[in-house]
Amino acid sequence: MGFDFNSLLAFIIFGLTIGVVYGIVALGISLIYSGLDIVHFAHGEVYMFGAFLGLVLSRDVGIPYPMALVGAMILAALLGVFIERVFYRRLTRSGGGYTVAGMGMIICGFGMSVALMNVAFLIWGADAEPFPVEFVIPPLEVNDISIPPSYLLTAVVSVFLMGVLNYFLRKTKYGLAIRAVAHNKDIAFLMGINVPMFISLIFGLACALAAAAGVLIGPMQSVQVEMGYLMLMKAFAAAVVGGFGSLPGALLGGVMVGVFENLGAAYISASHKDIYAFLLLILVLMFRPAGLFGVEAKVKA
Amino acid sequence: MKHWNKILAGVATGGLLISATAALAGEIRVGITMRMVSENGQRYGQMVMDEIDLINKAGGINGNTIKATLMNDECKSDKGVANANKLIFQERVHLLMGSTCSSVSLPIVDITAKAEVPQIIPHSTSAKITQKGSAWVFRVPVSGRYYGGVNAKYVGENIGKRIAYICAADAASQNECNGLQEQMKLQHGVDPVYVAQVQEKEVDFRTHMQKIKSAGVEGLMVSAQAETMSRALIQSYEAGIGSGVRRIGASMASNAPVPKIAGDSVKGVFYAAAYASADTRPIAKLFNEMVSKRYGVHAPDHDFSQAYDMIRIVEIALRSANLELSSSSLKSDRTAIRDAIANVKNYQGLASGPISFCADPTPQCRDGNRTPVLIAYKKGGEQFETEVLARVTMPIDFGL
Repeated sequence: MGFDFNSLLAFIIFGLTIGVVYGIVALGISLIYSGLDIVHFAHGEVYMFGAFLGLVLSRDVGIPYPMALVGAMILAALLGVFIERVFYRRLTRSGGGYTVAGMGMIICGFGMSVALMNVAFLIWGADAEPFPVEFVIPPLEVNDISIPPSYLLTAVVSVFLMGVLNYFLRKTKYGLAIRAVAHNKDIAFLMGINVPMFISLIFGLACALAAAAGVLIGPMQSVQVEMGYLMLMKAFAAAVVGGFGSLPGALLGGVMVGVFENLGAAYISASHKDIYAFLLLILVLMFRPAGLFGVEAKVKA
Repeated sequence: MKHWNKILAGVATGGLLISATAALAGEIRVGITMRMVSENGQRYGQMVMDEIDLINKAGGINGNTIKATLMNDECKSDKGVANANKLIFQERVHLLMGSTCSSVSLPIVDITAKAEVPQIIPHSTSAKITQKGSAWVFRVPVSGRYYGGVNAKYVGENIGKRIAYICAADAASQNECNGLQEQMKLQHGVDPVYVAQVQEKEVDFRTHMQKIKSAGVEGLMVSAQAETMSRALIQSYEAGIGSGVRRIGASMASNAPVPKIAGDSVKGVFYAAAYASADTRPIAKLFNEMVSKRYGVHAPDHDFSQAYDMIRIVEIALRSANLELSSSSLKSDRTAIRDAIANVKNYQGLASGPISFCADPTPQCRDGNRTPVLIAYKKGGEQFETEVLARVTMPIDFGL
């Protein structure tokens, strides 16, 4: 295939739209990592659960799609708080991150992933479900490129959510408290911050973001119980590329992964599309082991 | 008194053993391994069990009952192999039915060949299954080699010769995709305009679609399992590939989730399969009604019809087989069942053409159904509609 500017533009746009979705899932993973010092392996299933919740609210309950998006985010946030308080809290008390309890939390994350998938299977079955949404705006035509409204909405809402989260974390008292908890829980506790409550809030926020990604992706790719795995892998790649624990890094990592894999698929081989995200990951780690926005930290002995 | 107790206990135990042996002797054990992860899969698995139950309630097979063990292999080779081993070596089945997926049936063929257990396949289409030369395997569905031929003929004559292909990595999808490419080359002398292999659960096809759009094709083949195919169809329209480019499906386009998920994007999709729910024959109408009433399925796909045909063929074979069904006759009973299936000729069921087997362990003898039916979707969604374009009975040696 010869070089064609229109096609290049199309591949970049496609990469950006899927990349921002990777970005918001990666944001959630980074948030949890900041707050609990753990990598949450069940985040892909929270994303899947969010997509199903959005589908139920939109198709079965009959509320408009934007409200279903918000509803799914709220329900997923509550689910996240429930998971954190019931399953992870006890382990958090024994220490997270590099401790034995931290390893327990990682294993617990794997278990939670399987449990959530099975619960979803019992409720919604194994079949993929279409997520039909009537968009009022027509596809955007740029040169010879047709961008469907679902893609536009995904990009706009994802960027909006990131903006809101950024404002919340940087400009509000609660955001400051979350950042304090993420920085150092002991000092935050001594400063009078209710650390357990803010850890729950972090978990809820992260799950709400994952649910938003699921509801946004639903109309583009349908919804099914196994949809979380691949998204989790890409979001991990995005989070690591951007720097684990860095919120702007997660966004940039997501966009980079999305664009890189689309360009790789377009100009190298489309048959091995999923490899490019991890190639990018290896490349970035070779030159910046902490990721693009990550901070080099000494690991506890 | 003590002696009387011992005698009575001995008599009772002996009686129990005799009755247990008698029950075992009168049982034809069949093992079934299928993909039952989707609602459709669970339903046709249930249909197979219900049909066996009906045979038993109607007096069984020459006075013997069929004991069926149904297992779910989830379309995964490792699970399918584990199921086959369990059914053959622990359950000691006389006959193995399965699997749904070619990638599962292929390794099972080696197991049944080595253990000398007859295997009858309800769904898998990969041509390689019968090309392994096993004397113990029989295939009810249409082989992929026939699908390639009939698809190429229709595509070349009615759609065009500039065709793009998106092929999923599973065995059946690869087989049908390669089959059409090879036959397009053989019949029309053309190479593919674009070919991409995608993962089985691929979700984003936009890069492919943009390239296909730029390539200016006349037809687009999507060979993948139902969900992946549906996503690709939807995204092909989203990328701006108009309805003037005809979409060609693999036989998996017959599966009900495709029109449900793809919605209007499925309209006009043409594919070859073993059964059309739009079939107007009385047997097909009765079958559609039965499946609709029993399992709530709007229109049964060829996975249902092939599972049903398989049971009917097994029933015919078992009735004609000379079975001893004792604990020492397992080997000879398995051989008798194999020979009885090989003797099934001209079975007229739901399949579009007659199904016949013979003794030679060759694809000519073991690919029983040679008649694909060409189908096109008229309407998508839950209440989808199809139309039959043609039925073509292929030459027995085709594609070999």
